[in-house]
Amino acid sequence: MADMAVQSDVMEAAGPYDRAKALSAFKLGDLTFYWITRISAISVLLILGGIILSLIVGAWPAMKEYGFAFLWTQRWAPSADPPVLGALGPIYGTLITSVIAMLIAIPVGIGIAVFLTELCPQVLRRPIGIAIELLAGIPSIIYGMWGFFVLGPFLANTFQPFMIRIFEGVPVLGAVFAGPPSYLSLFNAALILAIMVLPFITAISVDVFKTVPPVLKEAAYGMGCTTWEVVRSVVIPYTRVGVIGGIMLALGRALGETMAVTFIIGNSFRISSSIFAPGTTISAAIASEFAESDGLHQSGLILLGLLLFVLTFFVLAGARLMLMRLEKKAGK
Amino acid sequence: MTELSVSTTAAGHVPQVPLPEAPPKVTVRNLNFYYGEHHALKNINLTLGTNRVTAFIGPSGCGKSTLLRIFNRMYDLYPGQRAVGQLMLDQTNILDPKLDLNLLRARVGMVFQKPTPFPMTIYENIAFGIRLYEKISKSEMDDRVEKALRGGALWNEVKDKLNASGLSLSGGQQQRLCIARTVAVRPEVILFDEPCSALDPISTAKVEELIQELSEDYTIAIVTHNMQQAARVSDKTAFMYLGELIEFDDTNKIFTSPSDRRTQDYITGRFG
Repeated sequence: MADMAVQSDVMEAAGPYDRAKALSAFKLGDLTFYWITRISAISVLLILGGIILSLIVGAWPAMKEYGFAFLWTQRWAPSADPPVLGALGPIYGTLITSVIAMLIAIPVGIGIAVFLTELCPQVLRRPIGIAIELLAGIPSIIYGMWGFFVLGPFLANTFQPFMIRIFEGVPVLGAVFAGPPSYLSLFNAALILAIMVLPFITAISVDVFKTVPPVLKEAAYGMGCTTWEVVRSVVIPYTRVGVIGGIMLALGRALGETMAVTFIIGNSFRISSSIFAPGTTISAAIASEFAESDGLHQSGLILLGLLLFVLTFFVLAGARLMLMRLEKKAGK
Repeated sequence: MTELSVSTTAAGHVPQVPLPEAPPKVTVRNLNFYYGEHHALKNINLTLGTNRVTAFIGPSGCGKSTLLRIFNRMYDLYPGQRAVGQLMLDQTNILDPKLDLNLLRARVGMVFQKPTPFPMTIYENIAFGIRLYEKISKSEMDDRVEKALRGGALWNEVKDKLNASGLSLSGGQQQRLCIARTVAVRPEVILFDEPCSALDPISTAKVEELIQELSEDYTIAIVTHNMQQAARVSDKTAFMYLGELIEFDDTNKIFTSPSDRRTQDYITGRFG
């Protein structure tokens, strides 16, 4: 500030060009810019706080009525008198579909990314990359319909009977893959979710894999590493923060995905040990019941929404923690 | 301490009388190299003597790094690059398309222009390479890691922080870590691609000293832009220009009485 003033005095003596005035115009622009960016940043906090607040207000009657028992009650009978509402079924369904979806999508997604960046012949790179981007652009309702009309029947007629037959009588797995086959099931929903989140994991992994300096890979190859060893010991450790970021983005999407899941999960609040049985998720329960709900029922659904919010928060916090521990282990 | 070693390195090594001819470790015959259509190396003939240091000098783009990257088939990673001719490592044909590249690269190690520590601890940086080829116990591995780090003249600086990240070291230390890592897998030939171009003078002196020590056990090829460095560390020097090998002779002779006009112009700084 002071410097500018001194300088402008000198300049005024030198010529007709008024530098102080020009500078003050800049200053106004700078101040405006500062406030615009600051208000944008603050508005995020306001919106987030507002959403949480309205969720809590809406969920309050249900919270008062059911307390913490809401979390471990399985029964969901909104038309009983008084209504009995428990979130265990949707919470279980949300977690189990997301976990299965990630178990499928992470190895496949990272595998595609490795293939695209390390192994794929140049001519195939663009077509496959574009196909994966297109996968991300398909609206979720299309996935839902495809899952309902094509994937569901296909799985129920081939994959499910096969798995049920193989694991029949095996202690734990027998219960996980128990019959009867169904068009609408947790597994179908998880598979659709896996396909939906695949592009996130692949696209982000490809981007971060490309940031590995070629010379670092050459150094590893130069020691006699195979491509697998280079990927496992150099590429993935070097990019783990980015890859985990992509996985978290995908997990966030899987936890909250509504439309496609509502179509194919069966919307049953009963918890079954079998992943081939129908179930429900938090978002699917809200979507399928909210329109015709009122009173305590509606408040219970809003409470479900709040739970999803909290669940997502904990998942993201857990991811942060994992990253910190990873970094410690790598000796930073 | 460091200055002392610099002066001994600079003055002490360059042999007044050339060393006796060493048996060839790597033999290059009529080697040509292409980047797609571009003819990057033309009819190269030379040999790397066993346990000798051979320096490659020449202006940027003359093909010296390209030549180095043929010795361990690094160019194989990139489509469209190919080598034609004969290139033997002892009795092994390096250019044989059926050659096991992992095995070749275990025999021919490489140190790069920029330090390339892997994203893991210092200990793991060394153990990683050893594990690729050998299954040994934890205590044996500890020994090997220590030996390699001593070999890289780094042990005293890192022995108390073996579990720190390799990336936490200074540039010079990182480069010596990379040399230790290369030595740890017991190669026969070590390729240095401008190993000191990213280092300060003190680190450079340490690396040069290390190269000298390593030449007792390994056959070494070094690409450098620094002619004093070539004069200090090498027994033989190859001058390359525009993809051709202009002159290949004892380092002493190249730097005192080169037989080709272009060599003389280059080492006296008239071009390049």
